[in-house]
Amino acid sequence: MEVKLENLSKVFPGTKGRPSTTAVDRMNLTIPDGQLVGLLGPSGCGKSTTLYMISGLHKPTDGKIFFGDQDVTNVPPEKRGIGLVFQNYALYPHLTVKQNIMFPLENIRPKMPKEEMVAIANEMAKLVDIDRYMDRKPKELSGGQQQRVAIARALAKKPQVLLLDEPLSNLDARLRLQTREEIKRIQRETGITTIFVTHDQEEAMSISDFIVVMKFGEIQQIGKPQDVYDEPANLFVAKFLGSPAINVFDGEIKNNRLYINDKLMSTSGYIGKGELDLGSEDAFSAFAAAGYKGTYNDYLKLVYHHEVKNDEELPEENKKNEHVEEVIYEKGEEIFDREFQNIILERMEELGTKLQKLEVVEALEKVREDHGLNRIVKIAVRPESFEINPKGKIPVDVSNIEHIGRDVSVVGHISEQESKVRILIPSELSNQLTSDKIYFSPKKYYVFETSGKRLK
Amino acid sequence: MDDTKRDGWKALIALLPAAIMLIIFTFFPIINTFTMSFMEDFQLAKGAGLLAINNGFSGIGFKGYQQVLTDPIFQSAIVNTLILVLVSVPLTIVISLLMAVALNGIKKLQGLYQTIFFLPYVTNTIALGMVFGAMFGSADSGVINQIVKLFGGTPKDWTTMNALKWDSFWVIIVYTVWNGLAFKILVFMSGLQSIDKQYYDAAKIDGTSKARILWKITIPLLSPQILYITITSFIGAFKSYTGVISIFGKGETYFGGAGNDWITIVGYIFRQMGSSGKGVYTKAAAAAVILLIIILIVTALQSVVAKKRVHY
Repeated sequence: MEVKLENLSKVFPGTKGRPSTTAVDRMNLTIPDGQLVGLLGPSGCGKSTTLYMISGLHKPTDGKIFFGDQDVTNVPPEKRGIGLVFQNYALYPHLTVKQNIMFPLENIRPKMPKEEMVAIANEMAKLVDIDRYMDRKPKELSGGQQQRVAIARALAKKPQVLLLDEPLSNLDARLRLQTREEIKRIQRETGITTIFVTHDQEEAMSISDFIVVMKFGEIQQIGKPQDVYDEPANLFVAKFLGSPAINVFDGEIKNNRLYINDKLMSTSGYIGKGELDLGSEDAFSAFAAAGYKGTYNDYLKLVYHHEVKNDEELPEENKKNEHVEEVIYEKGEEIFDREFQNIILERMEELGTKLQKLEVVEALEKVREDHGLNRIVKIAVRPESFEINPKGKIPVDVSNIEHIGRDVSVVGHISEQESKVRILIPSELSNQLTSDKIYFSPKKYYVFETSGKRLK
Repeated sequence: MDDTKRDGWKALIALLPAAIMLIIFTFFPIINTFTMSFMEDFQLAKGAGLLAINNGFSGIGFKGYQQVLTDPIFQSAIVNTLILVLVSVPLTIVISLLMAVALNGIKKLQGLYQTIFFLPYVTNTIALGMVFGAMFGSADSGVINQIVKLFGGTPKDWTTMNALKWDSFWVIIVYTVWNGLAFKILVFMSGLQSIDKQYYDAAKIDGTSKARILWKITIPLLSPQILYITITSFIGAFKSYTGVISIFGKGETYFGGAGNDWITIVGYIFRQMGSSGKGVYTKAAAAAVILLIIILIVTALQSVVAKKRVHY
C-alpha cells in the first residue's frame, strides 16, 4: 500500500502560556508500496509525530494522508489497516505471548473462531521466530524476543502498513544488529510497506530502501541511504549521517576561490552560488547604492558578462557566444560611473590585468564582504576521505592516534583552528604518521555556507 | 566497609524514635493482650494498670476464649461484622474503581472533581458519622426522610431505638462505603496514572472496545492496587466500630445500635472493657486475639489468591 503525505502539519498547542510547537511542518512524502522506509532525525524533529499521524493516533493539524487512493486523514486508527510497534513494545504484561498476539484478533466483529485465531497467532509467531515461547509472559522474554512478539502482534491483523517507533532503541548493541536484519527479513517476506522511526543513522542506513532525514519538523533530504550519505543536501544531513561523524572545519571564500588557513584549496565553482547572487535585485541595489546609475537590465548584462569572463571553466555554449559578450561589454562601458568602473578594474585584476588603485581594491573587498561574497564557509570531509599527502592543503596537528582493528584513527585538530578532526586511514599506512603535523588532501569534500546550505 | 558500618548506625539512630514508639504503643500492647487473654478472670489491681503480670488472675487457660465464643452477643458480633465486611468491601472497591476510571477519563475540571471526592478523607470519621446520623435522623428532621417523603414514601426510623435491623444496615453500608471512597479513589487514580499510555494506544489501534479495555487491560494492570485496597478494606471493615457508634450514638447499650443490633467485634471488645465483673478484660483480650486471627487468615487467603491474579 502506497502511503502519501500531503502538506501534513502538526502543531501542538502551547499550554499555560507557553508557545505552541510545530512538530511537523507541511510535510510532503510518498512512500511506494512494499518499501522499507526509515524516518531519521534527532529527537524532537517530528519523526515520531509523523508516524503517529500515519497510525491515526495523532490527528494532523493540517494536510492529508493517503493510503493508496483512499484519504485516511479522518479514518480512526483501527480502520486504517495498520500495525504499530511501540518503542517500549506495549506488550500486555499479564497476557502470554500467544494471548498478546491474539488480542487484536479478539476485537474483530463478527467474532473469529478460536481455532482460526490460534492458527494466525502460530503463523505470526513462526514468522518472527518466537513460536517456542507461546506460553511465556513478556517479562520472561529478552528485549529482542519481546520486540518480535510486538511485531507479531502488529502483523496479526494482516495490516497493509507496518509502523515501527524506534524499534531498536531498547536493545543492546548485539541484539540491535540481529533485530534489524530480522526486521528486514520480515519486511521482505511479507512485502508489507514498512515505515520506521529512528534517531540512529546506522540503523536507518543499514536496512532502509530509502531514508527521510528530518529536522525541526521539516524534511531535509530523501533518498537511498548511500546517496544521502554521498551527497548530503546540507550541513545538518552531512553531520547527522556517518559514524564517526563528518569532520567540519572553517574555510574561506575570497574572490570566488576557496581557501583554508589562507592557502588556496580550490579555484572554481563558487561563483553565483553564494549568498549574494550578483544577478539578483539585492545585488543590483547594493551596486546602485555604491553609485551605479544604470537600470537593472543594464546591470544584468554587465554582471553576466563579467561573471562568465571571470569563471575559469566557461560553459561551452558561453564560449561560443564570446562575441555577444563583447558587445554587451562595450555597451555597458558607456554607462559606467567611476566607482563601478573600479569594481570592474578589480575584476580585471582577478583575470590577470594589472590594477591601478590599491584603495579601490580595499573598498571592493568591503563591498564583497558586506554582500557575502567573501565569506567564511564550512568545509566538511568524511573521516575516510582523507589521504596523507605532503603537499595536501589540510594541515592537521595530531594529538592522538588510535588503533582500532583494521583502521587507524588520527585524532587532532586543523592547524590554527579549533575544529577537532578524526581521520580514518588504513592501518598499513600508519607508518606514514611520523610527525605531529601531517598534511592531508581530501578525496572528496563538501562546502557549506555557515547557514548549512550546500555550496559544493 | 567502614562506611557501611557507619551508615548502619545512622539508619538505626534515625529509626530509633519510631521504633521506640512502635514498641511501646504497638508491640507491647499486642503481647500484653495476648498474655492477658490466657489469664483467667483477670482483674485490674489498684494502681497496677493494665500491665498483665502485676494484676490478679485465677489461673492460666482458655477460659476467656471459652466465655467469649459461647457468648451469644459475641457470636452475633462476628456475624454482623462478617455481613458488613462481605457487603461493604466489594461494594466500596467496585464503586471507587469505577469512579477512579471515570475521573481519570475526565479532561476538564479533573482537579476540581478530584478535590470534591477527596474531601471526605480530610474530614473526621466521627464527624462524618454524626452527619450521617443526622441525615438519616428521625421522621421529620432527617434529610433522607425528607427525600423519601418528597417521592411519596413513608418516613422510616433509620438509626433510633425503634429502627429495623435491615434499615440501619443500609445506613452503615452507605456510610462505610462513602467514608472509604476518597482514599481508595486516590490509590486507584495514582495506579491508573502509572499505567503506560501506550497500552491504551495499542488497544486503540486494535479497535478494542471500552468495556474490553477496562476488563482486559485496566483492571489486570491495576491489580496491585486492587490487592492493596482489598486487604486494607477487609482489615478496616473487620475493625469497623467508629462508624457504627458515631451513627447510633455511644453508650453501654448502644455499642451497635438499638439492642446491639449491629454490634461489631471491636464494639464487643469495647463493651467488655466498659462493663464490670470478673474477667471482662480476659474476655476483651480473647476477643481481640480472635479478631487478629480472623484478619490474619483472611489476609493470608488473599495473598494466596493474589499470587495468581496480581500482575506486578
